[in-house]
Amino acid sequence: MRIEWWIILSVYAVSTGILLFIPKNKIRLAVVAFLFNQIVTFLIGLVVVEWGLLEYPVRCFASINRASFTFEYYAFPTVCAAFNVWYPSNRSIFIQLGYYAGFCSVMTIGEVIIEKYTNLIKYLHWEWYISWVSICLTLFIVRLLCVWFFAKGKV
Amino acid sequence: MLMERLILIAMWLFGFVAFILFIPRKEWRKGFLAFLMFQAVIWLCDMPSFQFELLSAPVREFPKATDLPLTIDYFFYPVLFSIFYVKKREKGRPWSRISSFFVWISVITLLDVVIERYTGLLEYKLLTWYGMWIYMGFLFYVSQVLCNWFFKEKSLFQAEWWGHNED
Repeated sequence: MRIEWWIILSVYAVSTGILLFIPKNKIRLAVVAFLFNQIVTFLIGLVVVEWGLLEYPVRCFASINRASFTFEYYAFPTVCAAFNVWYPSNRSIFIQLGYYAGFCSVMTIGEVIIEKYTNLIKYLHWEWYISWVSICLTLFIVRLLCVWFFAKGKV
Repeated sequence: MLMERLILIAMWLFGFVAFILFIPRKEWRKGFLAFLMFQAVIWLCDMPSFQFELLSAPVREFPKATDLPLTIDYFFYPVLFSIFYVKKREKGRPWSRISSFFVWISVITLLDVVIERYTGLLEYKLLTWYGMWIYMGFLFYVSQVLCNWFFKEKSLFQAEWWGHNED
């Protein structure tokens, strides 16, 4: 089996592992973050492929879907769920910003390495910092939504 | 082509208006969660359905990026499900609950069949109308079970959040 498929398999395995680590009493927060991240990522993912900015040569459901199902449906939503579950909401603004920067940087570095050494993703008209910014924005939008969803008392 | 585009625009408009009109403001969270849940279920189920050529979508929004119908999967049916979920009576007799479930999936299947027959938005290949009916029932049932689990204990989900913030 090619290295790409091993990576896809391990992404599913690691994501499932992360989901299993989510504490039982925060599972609903994780669900909302996961699902809302899906709709944001799915739409953006399709748009960037449609416009030819990115390409995923090796992918699941290859004949019908040119975007990355693994990343958009499972991996990024999982990361986003973890992001929200362990969000340091009582800490200072610097720690919160650092938390954002840490998540975005780790994901971007992972993506750049995968781009460089495998055939899972190819940047056509894309740069690593666009990934960084879009990941950051997505996490922020989902965070806002979660705050709204779980706000106490308000309609 | 023009008719298909108009139908897609109408679906977006009708979807937004219907969500605002039929779902009371204080139930928006419930409606929104139902929307998200159905959207996740239908994408997951439609991927293999389209891959194995049960049906296809000749006219679609992102012809290059995906073979799936974006408006229908991503927006329109999830909105219909969220209205169904918020409107359904929880305390009615089992018979009235079951019949309302079947009326909903039948009407949506009918809509789907009409779209299939008269426009290029959908095209059944291996799928038949009764197959669509079963498929729709399956999607609705699974989404409903997941949403019921989420809202199992009414106040719990907010308590979780506040517990989380007070850690």
